[in-house]
Parts: sequence; C-alpha cells; structure tokens
Amino acid sequence: MSGITLDTVRKEFSTGDEQIVAVDDVDLEVRDGEFLVLVGPSGCGKTTTLRCIAGLEDVTSGHVRFGEEDVTGLRARERDVAMVFQNYALYPHMDVRTNLGFGLKLSTQLSSAEIDDQVEDVASMLGIEDLLDQKPKELSGGQQQRVALGRAIIRDPAAFLMDEPLSNLDAKLRAEMRTELQTLQHELDVTTVYVTHDQTEAMTMGDRIAVMNDGRLQQVGTPEAVYRTPVNEFVAKFIGSPSINLFDATVERTGDTAVERTGGDGSVGQTSDGSVSQTSDGSVSQTSDGSVRLDGVGDFDYVLSDPTPVADHESVRVGIRPEDVTLADEGTTVETNVLEPMGNENFLYAQLGDQEMTARIDPSARPAPGDPVTFTVPESAVYLFDPETGEALKTKTDEAAPPGTGDQPTNRVDGVAE
Amino acid sequence: MREETRREAVWQFLTYAFVLLGAVVTLVPLYWIVVASTLKESEFLSSTAPRLLPGDSFLSNFQALQARDNVQFVGHPGEMTQYIEIGPLYVAYDVWHLWDLGAMGSSVFVAVVYTLLSLVLCSMAGFAFAKYEFRFKQPLFYAILATLILPIQLLVIPLFLLMAQLDLTNSYWAIILPWAANPLGIFLMRQNMQSIPDALLESARMDGATEFQLYYKIALPTMKSSLAALAIILFLFQWNLFLFPLVVLEQGKYTIPVAINQLVGAQRVYYDQIMVAATLSIVPIFLLFLVLQKQFVSGILAGSVKE
Repeated sequence: MSGITLDTVRKEFSTGDEQIVAVDDVDLEVRDGEFLVLVGPSGCGKTTTLRCIAGLEDVTSGHVRFGEEDVTGLRARERDVAMVFQNYALYPHMDVRTNLGFGLKLSTQLSSAEIDDQVEDVASMLGIEDLLDQKPKELSGGQQQRVALGRAIIRDPAAFLMDEPLSNLDAKLRAEMRTELQTLQHELDVTTVYVTHDQTEAMTMGDRIAVMNDGRLQQVGTPEAVYRTPVNEFVAKFIGSPSINLFDATVERTGDTAVERTGGDGSVGQTSDGSVSQTSDGSVSQTSDGSVRLDGVGDFDYVLSDPTPVADHESVRVGIRPEDVTLADEGTTVETNVLEPMGNENFLYAQLGDQEMTARIDPSARPAPGDPVTFTVPESAVYLFDPETGEALKTKTDEAAPPGTGDQPTNRVDGVAE
Repeated sequence: MREETRREAVWQFLTYAFVLLGAVVTLVPLYWIVVASTLKESEFLSSTAPRLLPGDSFLSNFQALQARDNVQFVGHPGEMTQYIEIGPLYVAYDVWHLWDLGAMGSSVFVAVVYTLLSLVLCSMAGFAFAKYEFRFKQPLFYAILATLILPIQLLVIPLFLLMAQLDLTNSYWAIILPWAANPLGIFLMRQNMQSIPDALLESARMDGATEFQLYYKIALPTMKSSLAALAIILFLFQWNLFLFPLVVLEQGKYTIPVAINQLVGAQRVYYDQIMVAATLSIVPIFLLFLVLQKQFVSGILAGSVKE
C-alpha cells in the first residue's frame, strides 16, 4: 500500500495536425489510504489522468510514483493497481467466479483452490455468493457493479482506480452504493482515486477532492474547503448543488451616508437610492469607515463593510450560494419564475435583472410565479471573484470549518454568522 | 373480417408464397442431385419420363465410382499402413507425400487444416487491425482489402511458379498456404472485433493479462459466433476451390471438385458417378453446419438483448 504522486504529468494527444493537451502539467499527491475524488466536467482530463495512473496511457512528460517507486515506464499489468470501469467491463464469456478469479490466475502463482477460496471470501464480503455461477449478462446493473468491485478488491492492489463506477446505476442504487463504497474503502484502507463528474459524489465520498478543468488541476482540498473557499469562479460554480449564482457587479466607493441608508447591518441596500448611485460618479473616494457598494444586475445593490477584497477592482463577479439566501423585508427584490417544493425545502427560481437566480428557501415560503420576493445575504457568505482571471477575491468568512481541514461537517444551511 | 385484417392476410400469404418459391428454387437442384445419385443414369436422364423419386442404385453407382482408375474418390485405408509404420515422422512426411487419401480425404484434410490455420491468422490480424494503433494501419488494411479484387484465374500462373520454387507442387500446402491469410476473413474479424469494448481489454490488462492473453483469453472467446461463421465461410471456400488444385495437384491428391472433373471423359460424361460424388461432397458441409449452427444462432441472439 502506498500513496500516489503525480509529478507534472502531461498528456498530449494528436489528432491529425492538432495537438490536444488532455492533462496539463498536473501535480497531485494522493496520500496513503486516502479516498481522493477527481472531479470535473466531461472532457476535463480527469479520466485521462486516471488512465495515466493506471498505466493505460503513456504520459507525454512527467512522472507517476507509487510511494517511492517511479512507475512511469511500467505497463498497467506491472503496476499493482486495480481499476473499476464505468461500464464494469466484465468478461462476458466467463461466469462471475471466473471473472473474479481471472486477475489472480494471471498475476499470481496461487492454485485454483486458493483462488477459489479468495473468490468466496470476496463474494461474501460483497453479498454476491449466490451469483458466482451466473454469467454477467444475467445480472442486474447493481450486481454487475459489485462483481466489478470484487474483481478489483480480490487482487489486494496498492491502489484502486475507479472511473465513474456509479454513473450507470439508477439514482437510488447509486446512493446506496455510494455509502457502501465508502465503508468498503475505509475497511480495506486502500488508496483510492475516484473519477466522477458528479459533484454530489465528490462531496459525499472524498476524503479530499481534486477539481479539474481543461486539463488543469484547479484545487485540491477537503470537500468543505473546496466548497467554502474555492480558488476561482470555476470551482465555485462546479462544486455545490444547486450551483452558485454568479453575476457581474461594479464596485462603487461611497461615503458614510449611503451606508447609513442601508441600515448599517452590512446587508443589502434597497433600490430607491440605487439609481442615484448609478448616475453618480463611480470614483467617489473611499471614506474613513471604508464601506464599498456593489452594484449588480437588476435590483442587486450591496454594501460591503470590508472593502479589502475589492480594493483594486472596478468591477467584480459576485457569487451567492442558493443556500445562503434568506427572505427578508429589506434587501434585493426579484420576481419569482418557478417554485420547486421539495418537502424539506423549496427551490426558488427568480429573475434577477437579465439572469435567473436560484435560492433555497424555507418550505413555508411559497411565492407564486410573478410574485416579488425580497432577499438578503450575510456578507460573510458572499463570494467575490476577479472578473478577468476568475480568481477568488473573497470566499466564505463565517465561522465553520477553517479552510484546509475537513474534520467538521459542512454546514450547508448558512447564515449562522449573523 | 375487417378490410385491414384482410389486406394483412393477403400480404402475409404473398410473403410466404415468395419465401416458399425461393426455398423451392434453392432446394430442387439439391434434391435432384441426391435423387439422381440413387438412380441409374438411364432413369434420370430419360427424356420421356425422368424419375423424380429415389431408387436403389446408390451403392452400385458408388462402386462404379470407386472402381475407376483415374479417380480415387474414397481412399483405400489399407494402403496407408505403409506410412503409419514410419512412426511419428509420418505426419510430416504425410503432408508432402500422402498419396492415397482419396478425393474425399484430401478435401477434408485440406479444408480442416486450412480452416484452422486461417482462423488463427485472420483473427490475429483482425484483432490487430481492430484494437491496435500502428504506422500505416489504414493503408495496409486497404491494401489487404484490395487483394479481394484479384481473381484466382489471374493468380494461377504466378502462384504455380512460386510453389514450384518452394518445392511445394503436388503438396497439400500448395492449396492451403496461398489463401491462409484470407483477406475476407481479416476484414470480417476486424469488423467484428471492433465491437469488443476497449474497457474489456483494458480491464484484462489491469488484471495482468499479456497482449497475447488479451487475444487468446478475451477476444477469441467473445468472438465465438463470428469465428463459427468465418469457419463455415473458410471451409466452403477451400472445399470449392477448383482451378488451382487442378493445376498444382497430381492425380492421387485430387480434391473433390478436381476429381469430379475427371468424371467428364472425352467420350462420355459419367453422370451417375458425378451425382454420387456430388452427394457425398455435401455431407461434410452439412455436418459442419450442424455442429456450428448452435454457435451461429446463439451469437445472433446474444447481440439482440441488452447486456
């Protein structure tokens, strides 16, 4: 058992004259026994990265190490890793027993009786003893999935590599297998790299998650850290469901008066004076109390009590997580488009200027389509991003798990900072 | 009866009638051959009342065929003992010099060896073309396909000269080797092997399989039905080969088509004997199909359900 280190791993494909960089100098360390989830939109290079670790793809440059050993030049079968494929890839002509034992038969000197013992052990661990004599095509999707897992487990490899193993299951089974996989991984304590495009899987399963986009590694951290302090707009948008509301806002440095008019609680400014500030010169010098106004799409007008994040910016991208929105008497007013009652919560889709925003609101609030709704967001929950680079200027600052550690559960229902 | 149902019934009747007609057109010549083999020549060649029902002259026709001195249809096993005494080297010697297999034995021997050899070569080449990337893969593949347009007639002389250089004239290898890497077979195997999911092979690679094991333990078993189909095609191809065996083989090694050709004499065509030979030549093909039919059908069904 060992950790996995990717050292500036690069993978290029050439299709005709075009060079495609699938994996762009990725540095990544998977700790021994860790469950690392590699997540990103399709085509971001996560599967290619996994295949480079597996040895199914040669890297263009860089190194892959298992523990201290450099395995870059080794072939897949020499690497002592097991992989679970998205479509399970069970051998259709072998029964479950042979499928499970195939790896041992090829890569070890065990007698067939010993292999059979291990097959029985793994089968009972996964609850598939009854299926041993069946062919893969006679199994349901969930059963096939278990066999695929068993085939990986039985080899007792240095690492598990999983390529979207749950994506072919129906929603209920997927949720079940999610917990089962985690339990199994904890029991076996084997380093695991898990690829998925599903951010729910990433958030719920990973000890740490690594977000990729366009072949580049964006951020690595605990699910909470990535959720709370994304390094850029992409990560903020990708992690979190429903995804974060993002829009442009101009930064306006205002005087004391504007702050007083908004009530001075660091909350949202109401409109009547919004139009005034829009027409006024945006380069009003910052006053001693240091507040700054964000003038966004539609009715959005927000006073930041701490101007440091936007110090050098004339405009920013504002991000508000749907779960941080609370309905209030004063604040930004939007028009309801659709309300999705979920039972324990309601999702509100509302029109903010020219774009739609999502809010998770109390199940008792039931605005009808067309109704105006006023909401507010605590400043500690507001995300700000550089409009050009997308880099995060400000992320959540309320008291919850400090970034970088993942020991506390995510407090998704925010607003506790108030 | 409603108008629609009636129309449907009429259509169904016409469809069946058409299919039945097709079956009759296909089967009548076959039936004629089999029946004729049991009749005296005068009975089935009669211009006034040709007999269409089986008679009892099959054995006498067969004996007449066996008694000919320019053709040995079914070999005389007794004469083979002299070779068996040579011992283990017999088989190797056999291939070059086995004389008295008879046409039936020659055809079966050649077709079986050819089919096995060609299955191996075609499936290997097909696997490579379907699942590996290498330089000049496409041009090579098209070059192989292009050889399909060369008729055997064109190849007879150069092939004969080649076989003469290799000292393989009048050897069974002369009609086995030239077509062993059958372009049609390579094409079929490549097309079918493309349907093997890459993940399946990668999964086996992760399980520790070598590239040869991928071919042998994964690709071949999953391709069983395609292999069965190809086996029938290859066997039939070799079974029906006529021109080149005629050129390159000598009398004792004649295959069935060449042997039958010998029954067309200068003065007389021995129709009764031809019919017996033709009937007998159908038997191995029939058996082969019976054996492989299960694979054939199961392969067709396997693809039809979701896996």
